[in-house]
Amino acid sequence: MSALEVAGASKIFNQGTTKQVDALIDVNLTVNPGEFVSLIGPSGCGKSTLLRLIANLLEPTSGSVSVNNKTAAQARLDQDYGMAFQQAGLFDWRTVSKNIELPLELKGWDKAKREARAKEMLELVKLPEFADLYPWQLSGGMQQRIAIARALAAHPPLLLMDEPFGALDEMTREYMQGELLRICGETSTTVVFVTHSIPEAVYLSNRVVVMSPRPGRITEVIDVDLGSKRNEDTRAADGFFKSITAVREALRGTHADHAAANAIRGVEDR
Amino acid sequence: MAENNALRVITRLRQIGPALVFGVSFLALWEAAVRGFDLKPYFLAAPSKIFEQFFKNYSRIWEASMVSGGNALVGLIVGTVFGVAMSFILSRYRFLGELITPLAIALNAIPIFVLVAVLNNMYSITSEIPRRVMVTLVVYFIVLVNVAKGLTQVRSTHVELMRSYAASEFVILRKVRVPNAVPYLFTALKVAAPASVITAFVSEYFGGLQNGLGSRITSNIANAKNAAAWAYVLGACLLGLAFYTVSIILEGVTRKGDTK
Repeated sequence: MSALEVAGASKIFNQGTTKQVDALIDVNLTVNPGEFVSLIGPSGCGKSTLLRLIANLLEPTSGSVSVNNKTAAQARLDQDYGMAFQQAGLFDWRTVSKNIELPLELKGWDKAKREARAKEMLELVKLPEFADLYPWQLSGGMQQRIAIARALAAHPPLLLMDEPFGALDEMTREYMQGELLRICGETSTTVVFVTHSIPEAVYLSNRVVVMSPRPGRITEVIDVDLGSKRNEDTRAADGFFKSITAVREALRGTHADHAAANAIRGVEDR
Repeated sequence: MAENNALRVITRLRQIGPALVFGVSFLALWEAAVRGFDLKPYFLAAPSKIFEQFFKNYSRIWEASMVSGGNALVGLIVGTVFGVAMSFILSRYRFLGELITPLAIALNAIPIFVLVAVLNNMYSITSEIPRRVMVTLVVYFIVLVNVAKGLTQVRSTHVELMRSYAASEFVILRKVRVPNAVPYLFTALKVAAPASVITAFVSEYFGGLQNGLGSRITSNIANAKNAAAWAYVLGACLLGLAFYTVSIILEGVTRKGDTK
């Protein structure tokens, strides 16, 4: 039983034209239930594309994606995953509570049940007193917590996140990372998390998937052995720095061809 | 509580104070200029004379306002309904938008009032229809352009989110596009409401029934009754303001917490 499985998936945009882009080539990835997996890599490595294949917002050109042992399409129809983006993406015309209720509304839940769940989710993200405010009355970090509450409102087994903390300042960001681990621990949610930040990926993940561009592919998968209980002390632990170094070296490898090419050119110039 | 109210009155006065002072001094200056330079009434009427005429002819100005205002209101409502309906069709079938946008731009580029003369030819001389059609056309394009923008320019995050919920196009329309377009509609109405009044009485300059504010202004000027003409202009100002105020109040009533 895996939470999700990507088998030999490729995604090619504008296939057969001069604008062809090989966004992903032959990607294989299995994520176990309760696992936290980060996708990291330079821009254009296809990490967001991979997330969208899992979410069935894009169809793979070849290969297959299954979520919760169903096709990705069926999993989307069944709302088997919640999703959060870099922009909180809350609706300005809905109160905080109504924003959280949206996925439940679309599932056809009745009003009382929706409100009870929204209240429960607000407790979970520690913002119970903000139910009747509008999103623009909240700070960026609070908005992102509401977005997470919304993504988890239907209690999906899987959470997909596309650089959700990318727009936050460093302090808020570290706080949100702690909160995310706590929330996912309490709800035993599986997470696939796209990020640009090496410390963020290491702090959060059981495994860090390192990707490289042109064509987008997985180059290395690094296990992070920091135990299941992580707190602020983790950020000062030896294992933390060791893992950061490992991910950094793996990422450098993705630039190796590039660096070599530059070195040769440098020699010729002299 | 009483102190609070007093404070509120004071802040309110501070807000409108400068405008009030400016308005009153402008009128005083005008009055002084007319008297001081002994300006003839056919050149420039004094505010005091204009107000005198306004109150003397109050009931006639009111009647004329009802005619022009009625035309504006009918055109405003019909134009809004058609504009909203068309924007839904355009947002659903994008290729239609590409066909219609150049036409809308072309119609906005010509002085659209000249169409009234053509419309007057099509209907009997006692018909209000040409003016109402004129207002409808002006309002229609303002509403169409704005609401279509509100329906189509939704944030990509919102659309992706709704697709991740497996929401149908209809549900996305209902839950995302329509609420997103509501502020655009009221922005359009704030522009369209005064424009409808202006269109209604400028249309009267192109012939037809002589019962509205526009035709009264011309006829009074033709009879060298300048102050009376100005009194009708004042009526027209008030009518335009009334339309604008109502559009703002409507916006306030429907707006939900969104102050962007």
